[in-house]
Parts: sequence; structure tokens; C-alpha cells
Amino acid sequence: MERTAGRLGTTAVDGVPAGRVERPTSTTEVSALLRETAAAKETLVPCGARTKLTWGLPPDSADVLLDLSALRGVVEHQAGDLIVTARAGTPLREVQECVAATGQRLLVDETLPGATVGGTLATHASGPHRLVGGTMRDLLIGVTLVRADGVVAKAGGKVVKNVAGYDVGKLLVGSYGTLAVVTECTFRLHPVPAARRWLTARVGSAEEAQELTRAVVHAQVVPAAVEIALDPAGDGALSVLLEGRPDGVAGRAGVVRELWGGPAESGDAPEGWGAYPWDPSVTGEDRAVALKLAFRLSGLRDVLTEARGLRIRGSAGAGVLYAALGVEAGRGSHEEVAATVERLRGVCAHHHGSLVVLDAPGSLKPALDMWGPVPALGLMQRVKDEFDPDHRLSPGRFVGGI
Amino acid sequence: MTAVDPVPGEAGSIADPRSYASGAFDDHRPPDAALLGDCVHCGFCLPTCPTYVLWGEEMDSPRGRLYLMKEGLDGAPLDDAMVEHWDNCLGCMSCVTACPSGVRYDTLIEQTRAQVERHHERPMREKALRGLVFALFPHPGRLRLLRGPIRALQRTGLDRALRRRVTKPGGLLERMAPHLAAMERLTPPLQPAERMPARIPAQGTRRATVAMITGCVQDAFFPEVNAATARVLAAEGCEVVVPAHQGCCGALSVHNGREEEAQRYARAMIDTFEKADAAHGLDGVDYVVINAAGCGSTLKDYTRLLADDPAYASRAAAFQGKVRDIAEVLDELGPAAERHPLPLTVAYHDACHLAHAQGVRAQPRRLLAGIPGLEVREIADPEICCGSAGVYSILHPEAAAELGRRKAAAIVDTGAEVLVTANPGCLLQVASSIPASADLGAHAMGMAHLVEVLDASIRGLAPDRLRSARSTDTS
Amino acid sequence: MIPVEPREAAIGRLTARARELLRPEGVITDRARLRTYECDGLAHYRVTPALVVIPDDATQLAQIVRACAELGVPYVARGSGTGLSGGALPHADGVLIVTSRLRAIKEVRVEDQRAVVEPGVVNLDVTRAATPYGYYYAPDPSSQQVCSIGGNVAENSGGAHCLKYGFTTHHVTGVEMVTPDGEVVRLGGDAPDTPGYDLLGAVVGSEGTLGVVTEVTLRLTRLPEKVVTVLAGFHSTDHAGAAVSAIIAAGVVPAAIEMMDALSIEAAEAAVQCHYPVGAGAVLVVELDGPSSDVDAEYADITRLCEENGAFEVRTATDAVERALIWKGRKSAFAAVGRISPDYIVQDGVIPRTALPEVLRRIAALAESSGESGVRVANVFHAGDGNLHPLVLFDDAVAGAGEAAEAVSRAILDLCIEHGGSITGEHGVGHDKAPSMARMFGEDDLDTMQLVRCAFDPDRISNPGKVFPTPRLCGERPGRRQGVHPLQEAGLAEVF
Repeated sequence: MERTAGRLGTTAVDGVPAGRVERPTSTTEVSALLRETAAAKETLVPCGARTKLTWGLPPDSADVLLDLSALRGVVEHQAGDLIVTARAGTPLREVQECVAATGQRLLVDETLPGATVGGTLATHASGPHRLVGGTMRDLLIGVTLVRADGVVAKAGGKVVKNVAGYDVGKLLVGSYGTLAVVTECTFRLHPVPAARRWLTARVGSAEEAQELTRAVVHAQVVPAAVEIALDPAGDGALSVLLEGRPDGVAGRAGVVRELWGGPAESGDAPEGWGAYPWDPSVTGEDRAVALKLAFRLSGLRDVLTEARGLRIRGSAGAGVLYAALGVEAGRGSHEEVAATVERLRGVCAHHHGSLVVLDAPGSLKPALDMWGPVPALGLMQRVKDEFDPDHRLSPGRFVGGI
Repeated sequence: MTAVDPVPGEAGSIADPRSYASGAFDDHRPPDAALLGDCVHCGFCLPTCPTYVLWGEEMDSPRGRLYLMKEGLDGAPLDDAMVEHWDNCLGCMSCVTACPSGVRYDTLIEQTRAQVERHHERPMREKALRGLVFALFPHPGRLRLLRGPIRALQRTGLDRALRRRVTKPGGLLERMAPHLAAMERLTPPLQPAERMPARIPAQGTRRATVAMITGCVQDAFFPEVNAATARVLAAEGCEVVVPAHQGCCGALSVHNGREEEAQRYARAMIDTFEKADAAHGLDGVDYVVINAAGCGSTLKDYTRLLADDPAYASRAAAFQGKVRDIAEVLDELGPAAERHPLPLTVAYHDACHLAHAQGVRAQPRRLLAGIPGLEVREIADPEICCGSAGVYSILHPEAAAELGRRKAAAIVDTGAEVLVTANPGCLLQVASSIPASADLGAHAMGMAHLVEVLDASIRGLAPDRLRSARSTDTS
Repeated sequence: MIPVEPREAAIGRLTARARELLRPEGVITDRARLRTYECDGLAHYRVTPALVVIPDDATQLAQIVRACAELGVPYVARGSGTGLSGGALPHADGVLIVTSRLRAIKEVRVEDQRAVVEPGVVNLDVTRAATPYGYYYAPDPSSQQVCSIGGNVAENSGGAHCLKYGFTTHHVTGVEMVTPDGEVVRLGGDAPDTPGYDLLGAVVGSEGTLGVVTEVTLRLTRLPEKVVTVLAGFHSTDHAGAAVSAIIAAGVVPAAIEMMDALSIEAAEAAVQCHYPVGAGAVLVVELDGPSSDVDAEYADITRLCEENGAFEVRTATDAVERALIWKGRKSAFAAVGRISPDYIVQDGVIPRTALPEVLRRIAALAESSGESGVRVANVFHAGDGNLHPLVLFDDAVAGAGEAAEAVSRAILDLCIEHGGSITGEHGVGHDKAPSMARMFGEDDLDTMQLVRCAFDPDRISNPGKVFPTPRLCGERPGRRQGVHPLQEAGLAEVF
């Protein structure tokens, strides 16, 4: 059994220096590490490709940066059963390449280049396909995890239909590494569509965005994605992605054409498709304030209206948008940024949704309510206490100080 | 751990025929253990049961009532709770239609009710009410006699005042009066005491000979329905025979556990119809036809009712073999008379004892579809009883009124001009419910029996006659 | 803390409290009435509850749970009582909380693709309420005309169409629930991705052990433009199974793929005269739905693939009446076996789809080896996702047949586990399969699941005795796992 430990790459988590980096190569090694570190109550922050390591709050401490990138590779792909099992540190792209050989895909978008299975799961990151395929939560059917006490456990299984026992996997999705260390995941797969087409309409106002979105979402064209991209002036485009058989896509494209009145059409994705609006190449800023806004579908117009001045991208058809709030020198004090966040949070809440600050410059985070109000927080704290009574896993990164 | 008591080897059935001792019931036709054993407790009956829809309680669902029967067979004594829940059953048999396992709830509840009548002592007041009901309804002559006084009472506007002053709320008159008043209101004024002729010749080529049952409520309060039945049958090439001195078929008695009384009525009915054709007796007729759904389902069950009577068992089977609902006969024969256009929107209401007890659903719809210009609209939740259920509306007025209100609302929602059904009880119930739901935007709605609509089409009558027939517009 | 007070006294106090809170008819204490609640849809387990309460609204329900928490009285929630795993089996010393009167559809907001309903609302009624607006509620368990949404949430119910559309968990976006300490909390909501742990994901499918839902927000799905149902007759289940594999391999995801074998076809014919292809050793029912241009293209593929794999007759239904005729045989199958066998056990297990031919052969061998007991197995299943519903037929009048049938039924579950499948695809664990959990999961797996239970219900008063073979003492820190993980032992998983 080989074990690698050492100081590899960055040794800080969002400005919090890591004591050391451990890079286990197996579930067993992860288990051993968690047991070893238990006695001294050392804290651990699991990570994969570190594309989202600064998301959430900085950890209270990080004695060990638990680098899972060596837990890499597809363990099993059963094409006939439409399932794949991959180790947590496997890049999403590697999984896609593997299953594509049999005309299949994991319906999860790679929103940041190099992102791993485990990191995408831990942050519940999702892209345009969430409209048709859901998110990690909907595709994960089995998981192997290592608890803070080193116990290795499985939940779910390798079949899509399974209601035996609690769905522990769902608890881990979006838990930011605070409950357990996920080492292996099994997902449901979908066939790669034979044809795809993007239809894009210009939008110049929130009303127009709402109307065009409503038209296509409530039609019977089963869009794979309905994405919006707006610049700070509120100008931009709404795109619908149609996927399926060539005849089907052609037929549905005809319907969308009618609904939207002459959209641009392409067999290739529009520029920036599925990218976050805070991508430095777009904003020119190293690290903007990254917002995730969720709301009822009917709230789109109000949210867009309130978000004017921000760069926006996201799944208009699913009620999830991402916004970049620029904080270049002279563009607003901490108080002003916090006020903008709260104003947007207000409109999301009005439409029964939420706003989360996914990321922000380290100096700004203390001034922001990153997670906002969290219902049932007491229950969440109890879950945390059961799984990780000593709060050793990614302490402080998550909601309510978890 | 929970104390669980699995029955070894038993897979799903709620009843285990081997374990029964006699409990609530005597040996004379207790609820059949084998039939009870057919219930696998799947619950598909729940949403179709009117009392479960009203109250959401297991005991007032078919599944719960079967369970209580099982308890009785298992040795539990007959108690007030059991009787209350069996009494609450409307006997609509919607559950029989819904049951995927083919449980004969209809047979089981009848067997149970007969036991209850024998062994359960009802409170005085309830006994009196039931006595009055059964002294009145199965007797067309007595019903007819009542018409005059009720009408007089109504016309003077005294009835409400009288009811308020003279009777306690929930008293006999309070319960009987709305029902009788509805009957009276729906009956055309100055109806001559018309007697049906004994024999009506077929028009054109004779295709069948049909003996007609005239019924009790139908005969007393809806004589024009009987007249229309005879006319339509004749127009369709049937020679119609109407035996004199017909009594009650026994349906109300059967549904309320009065088994011996029902058997008496059944024997008399068979006697009468065996003389239907002077020359050939029952053999001389092709069908015995009935236009009231509640009667039909009982007439089609005479074989079982008289199974233990050696003198009548085989005669009952012969009689039962000829019984048809009017819609079945007309559908089976196919149209011969010309249908004239009848530009009208109607809502067709499935009478429980037609749809569930006799499985007659398609035939009335086909007959209506055969009328040019007529549009038929379906009523939401068609499987739920309107609350009439024989004399249920008298014995359980609150439940019946609530079911009537719901049914009326569903009917009003169709926007139809005329309600069409095939049972006098349903007509009465809906008629008394629609004005009560005026806040639903109820409009005046005509009410007609299926044969009256066919009659109007065959005779080429104006649709307005049906629009105003027994109109709910009480102003 | 559970008070040391004797259970009877606690029930007495709870009854008094319930009488203050509820209308008189909502508190049931007499034995005859209590007994009508002693089982759910799995009638061979029966426990008479100490008390039944039928609250009228969520407030009353929460008050009852709070009283249970204060008095330490266990409770079991029940909707329509149609579950097939004994999940709503009452507790002898506890109260059964019946949600059948909480049946208001509070909102249908198609612009948000959501409906908000009370837990007692019947599944099909949600679709009925949404259909006029061009929407429906996708999960369709076979009992959809009677089962309640609360029960669906507890069991994470599936249905024939979950192959394409997913299960209850994919269509519940929020709940209001009463936790076992009587607190009313909201999990999830209208909008996606509520911040914090996905407690909703844990609650759906937890079989009432984490609390009682009092309001459910459901995702509504746009009605498809076109629906086509294909019925294909094959000479054997091997041929039909090959057709299923070919369909999946071709990249088609039908709304449903259902298979019936010869024995279940025989039963369905006896019960509802569905007129399936004469002489078929197996039939497939394949339903396609979606935009008409896509359905037409997929239809051509499906019929071709069925024929290539030995279908000797293929029928197509395009309107509701014809579709109902095809589905009639399939939907009647469970109840219909009653017509060809006096007694039967309905099993529910899952295997990887590709293991279908082998597992079917082994099931046939199991029935044969049951010897003189005359046990037969009829197979009905959701072939698209490998969810088997073997119906084990026997005659209880034959000595030893009941035991033999149970042995066959158990062995079928073992086959599912051996092939890396699941002991339940949609009926739930409940009371019935709690002992089988230890065959599918290791001690540590079960222990980890119970950490969730401890967070929600440390005193284990919410549906105790269900799902888990042995309860975990909350607060206890178990030692290291000994021995080998059962999946690893079976050669199905490695520990890395």
C-alpha cells in the first residue's frame, strides 16, 4: 500500500495556512488518516482540483489539507446499466471521456476546467444541463465515504432504483466537506444525444427575458437548457439548447423559432456557455464577488431588474442565476457591497428563494453574510454533531459556523 | 420491539377462513368468510367510497367495514361502533367497481345488514323512523296518498313554519319532509291518476316482447317516466306488457337488512310476472325491463336472495335471467325509430346502482350519442354517490346533504342544460341539492330520465320541454 | 429523555390531551375501531395501536407530535395505508397519526411549475388538479389513485414512468414537517438549492422515521405533446430482455419499459381479458412520450429493435383508450394473480438491468427446486430499471407451501444482493425488510445512516422499529468495524 504525503502546491485554504498536505491513494488510506488525526483532534479540509477551494467561508483551521487528487480513475462503467463509478479525485472530464466511448454521458457540466467529481459534489456545482438532468443530487446513486472517526461506509448502491435505507449521499451533496470525506461515487448516466442545436435571442430588458423564458419553458419542447447571459447594462442573450434525435431537434427548433421570432441558430454552443460570470477572463478582475441566486421561476423578471449592473449568467429556465459583483478599486466600499448583496437577497427571498455568496475576496468575506438565513439550521447542526462531533472536517466553512 | 403477530403462511389477505369462531353473527348467512378472504387490503376502494371521501376514516371505508365484519367473525361481539359504520354505508357499490381483487362487498354488506337487523337493538327513535320509512316507501298507493297533503302544506308556505314549531330539529318530520317535499316539487301538478294499459302494441315489426316493472317511487311520483318508457319501447318495436298489481321489488328492504321482508316482495314479484303473458307465462316475454336502477340491481340478484327457498330458487333464476335495465334493452336491440335532432347539452349522471351494481355505463352513453345535436358532458368524480342511496338520505341526512351538495356542484360545473340519469332517487337528491348550492352560481337546470330524452327525440319534441323539466329554478 | 412512566399511563395522558386538541371523532380508543387500523397494505403484519388520532390540520398534527415527545409516546404516521412493506404498521404502545383528513391542494402554480399540497392528498388528485393547465405530477406508483403524497414522501415512491422521470425525491422541492421533538421546520421550498445540508433529500424516503410531513411542495411536469404505447409479444423472457438491452443501447430512454412473463400474462388474461398476443412467453409494454417529432423517430427504432430481437407481434396505441387497454393487463397483474393462485407474496427487488436474463433463470430454478410445495413465480417488472416484482404463488392449503414460498421470496432478494442490486426498489424497507437490511449493508453503513436518525430523533419515537434491524443508541460511539464488508465479500466492491 503506497502512501504519499507531502507539501504539494498551495498549502493554504482561502488564506488559512494548512499545516501539511496529505495525498492518500485509497479509501483505506483516507480511513487510516482520519483515525490517526483523531487523537490530536487535527482539522482536515478535503480538496480535489482546488478549483473551488475558496468557496464558502475560510475554515477555522486546516491542520491537514486532504488532497484527494490521487484517488483518481473510473472504477467501473457498466454501459448496459447506464452507471459509472469513479473515485472522488477523478476529473469530470475524465469520466466523460470514459463513458463517451459507449455513447453515454454524465449529465453534469464542468463549470470550472479540471473540476473533479468530489469537488463538484461537495459544492453542488451545476451548469446549464440542470434543467433537464438535475444536479449531482439527482444523479448520484451510491457513495463510499469515510467518517471523521475513520469508519468507511457506503450508502445507496449501483442501481438507479433503490429505496433501501437513508439517502446519505444527498446529505453529502453540497456539504462542503463538513460531514465526511467522499472517496467514491456511483452515478446514473444518460445517452449522448445524436443532435443538438442552440437557438439564441437577444434580450434587452428583464420583461423580455421573462417572457421569452416563460414561452419556451411552458411549451412542449423539452429544452435541455435555457440559459441567460447579460452584461452589466442589462443587454445580452437568452439561449435554448435542444438535444435529441435529429428529426426531433429539428421539429422542436421550429416551435422555438415560432415562439421567439427568428432567433440565431447554431450547432455550437454560444461563447461562454455554462461559464461563471466571474471568470477572470471576462471580468478582468482576479476575484469578483460570486453570487448564486435561486428563486421561483415567476421571479425572474424581478431578480434581473434588481441585478442590473451585475454581470449575469445562469439557468433562467431553472430559477438559478450566477452574478459577478465587481469590486475593483473605487467600485464600492465593503458596506456598499454588503448592501447590494442584501438587496439582491431580499428579492430572491421575496420569490421564495435564496442568495449565497459563493466566493469573495478574502478581505471582503468578514463583511458579508455569505450564506444568508438558513432554515432548519438547528437540525443541520445536530447532523454535523453526529457525523463529526469534534468538528474536524472543514470547520467553519459552511452555514451557521458548521 | 413491536409485538407483531404474523399469520403464518398467509400472504396479504385480511381474513383467514380457518380461524373463525362465531362472534357477532348467527349461522344463518353470516358474512361469507371466503369472500372476506378475497380482500388483500390494497385500499383501492377508499377514494371511491362516499363516506371515506367525507370523513377520511378507515372504519367508514369499505376496507374498514370488511375489517369490522372479520372482527365479528373472529369472535368480537356486535357492538354499536360496528353497526354505526355498517349503517353509514350508502350501498352505492362504487367499491365493487374499484376492487381489483373482485371482492363481493355488495353480498357481504347485505349479509351483514341482515344479521344486524336480527341482533342489534336500535334506539327507540331510530326504530320509529325506520318503521315509518318501510311502512311508506315500498307502497306506491300510500306514497300517492301523501302527495295531496304535502302539496297543500307547501303551497301555503306553512311547511317550514310548521316544521320549526311542531317538531324538534332532527325529528321525524324534519327528516322526512325535505325528501317528500322534493318528490312533490318534481312531480308535475294535476297529474291524472293515469294507469298504464296492460298491453301496448309494437310499432312496425315486432322485435321483442317486454314486460315492464313500474316501480314504487317511479310509479307514484314519476308516472311520466313510465309512460315514456313504454312509448320508447313500442317505438323501437317492442310489444310492452304491464302486469297489474305490481308490488315493491324489495330493494329497499334488501339494502337495509330486512331479508325476510325482501324475500316476500321477491316471491310476489315473481308470481306476478309469471302471469305476465296469459298464454305462455314468463316464457312469453323476452325481457323484464326496469327503468329504476336501484330496483334493477335487486331484481338481478333474486337468485341469491331466494337461494334457500326450494319452491322459488329455480323460478328466481329464470326471472332474473330476463331482467334488463331499459338502457340495456334499447342498446341491445339497436335503434329502429328515427331520432330527431335535439340541440341540447346534457350531463349524464351514473346512478350507482346502474353503473356499479349492474355495470351499465356504456349503454346509456351510446343511446345519448345516437341523438343528433345532443352534446353529452361528463361529471367530475363520476364514481362518487350523490347521497340519495335509497332511503339513506332520510336515515343519514347530514352526510347525504353534503354528498348532494358536492355532486350538485360538480353537475353545475359541467354547464349542461339538463341533467340526465336513470334513477328516481338520484333525480330527487340532486333536485333538492342544487338550490342549496346557489352560491356556486347554479342556474336552473332541467332534469330528465334517459328514456324521456330518447322519447323527446323520437317524437321530435322541442328541447325546451326538457330544459324546463323538473327545473331547479324554484323561484 | 423518555420518561420512566409506564406506557399505559402515558397513553392515557396523551388520549386526554388529544381529546382537548381534536374533534371527538378524531380520537379513537375503542378496540373495534382501533383494529381497523392494525395493518396497512401488507396485511399479514398486524399490530393494534394503543390510540389512533385523525387531526384536521397541520397545527393539530404538530400539537399531537409535541405531546408525544413530551410524554415519550412513540408514534407512527399513516396516510391511505396502502404501503407494501408494513411501513405504517402501528406500534402497540403508541399512537397512529392518520393524515387522511389533511387533503387540501393548497396551490397549483403552473407558472412556477409547483403545487403545494397537504400530506393526505391522493397522488392522482395532484395530476387531476394540474392537467387543466397542461401539467401533471410525474411519479405514478401503481396505487396512484389511492396512495397519499405523505406516504409517497415517506417511501420515495416510484412507478412505471420513473425510468425517465425519476422518483418522488426528484419531484419534491420542499416540505414542512414536524420533527420528533415537535418542532415545525421547513426544508427546501419553491426554489432550487436551498443553502445548507440537503435535509430534504434525507427525509424523502426515510419512511416516517425522521418526522411527519405536514405540507409538501411538488414539482409539476409539462404534459408531453405525444404519447405512444407499444405492446410487443416475444416467445421468451430472454428475447424480451434482449430487446430491452437493445433499446437502452440505442440511446432511447422510454417513459416506461414493463415486462410480464407467461404466468403473469395468464393471470392478467384471467382477470381482465387484456388479449395480449397469443402464445407469448413474455410481453414488453414500452411507452414513449415527448415532442411528437422525437416520439415518431423513437417509435420507429423501438418497433425495429423489438422485431430484430424476436418480437412476433407488435401493437401500437396512440390514443388514451387504446393505451388503457394495453396498460390494463399490466396494471391488473398484482391483484390478478389471485385468480390463478389462492395465495401469493409480492416481492420487490432490484438488479442491474444487464443481469436480467441470468436472474430470471435462477428465479425459475428456485421455483423448480421448491419441490412438491407447488410454488411458482410469476414475473412482472419495470424492466427498464431492473426493478423486479416477482409474485411468488402458492397454496396455503398444501403443507409446507407457505414456508417454501417465503424461502423462495427470500432467496430472490439474495439474488438481488448478489448481483449488486437492492432489496427494495419502491415498496420500502418498512417492517417487512428491516431484517434484510443487514444483508445488503454492513454494520458501518447502517450505523452511518442511523447518525441521521440520531440527529432527528434521538429518543426513537418516530416510527420506531422500521427500516433498521437494530437501533443505534444515540450518543454511543461504536468501535471499529470488524470483519469484511458484505459487498466486498461478495466480490462486488473493493476497499481501496
